[in-house]
Amino acid sequence: MLFFRSEEHIDRWCAAWRLDRGAVIPLAKGWELARVWYGEDRRDPAWRRRTLEETEAVFASLGFTSEFWNLR
Amino acid sequence: MNDDFDKQVRSQVYDLTMREGTPPLSSRIAGAQSAVLASFRRLADAHMLVLQSEGGEILMAGPYSAVPTPFRVRANGVAAYGNCIWDALGIPAMLRSDAEIDTSCADCGTSASIRIVDGALISQGLMHFAIPARHWWKDIVFT
Repeated sequence: MLFFRSEEHIDRWCAAWRLDRGAVIPLAKGWELARVWYGEDRRDPAWRRRTLEETEAVFASLGFTSEFWNLR
Repeated sequence: MNDDFDKQVRSQVYDLTMREGTPPLSSRIAGAQSAVLASFRRLADAHMLVLQSEGGEILMAGPYSAVPTPFRVRANGVAAYGNCIWDALGIPAMLRSDAEIDTSCADCGTSASIRIVDGALISQGLMHFAIPARHWWKDIVFT
């Protein structure tokens, strides 16, 4: 996941690398995602990865509901 | 038995990583090195770590990178590298700390200084995900 200054820069980068445009979120939404995703204490031996259903719930809670975020 | 050992290894990996800013070498983890490397492999198979392509040492202990990347983070007075912009933000999220992230626009290279202060993001910009979520682990290094 890369950082860009603006939509125009994303479009130019995708064209240069011949990649389809993926999902774009504001940095502030990325901070929300990071806080949920990495907010748990992984030093805790009881920590485990989220299940698919739990990950879907995280995405849904952030409004990531398009096909791009579909895990199945 | 492997399960308990792997939990201990993972806990030590994150304890060292969060204090020092970079994932440790296997020699830093308690236990016979062959057993620790085998544990790293099992943790990687379970998508809890990513290993370097040779040698079996850690490349990524999300959100931290063991090698320099374009996402330099300073948090809690410790320098670190995130694997991507999401992970760069993940370091202060994991530490619950302020942070300064030095990166640049992936298109034009213009520098960007992203700051986290008292839990708030003080910066503008966009994050682009090139790979659909269900395919992230097909090539996590590219992702």
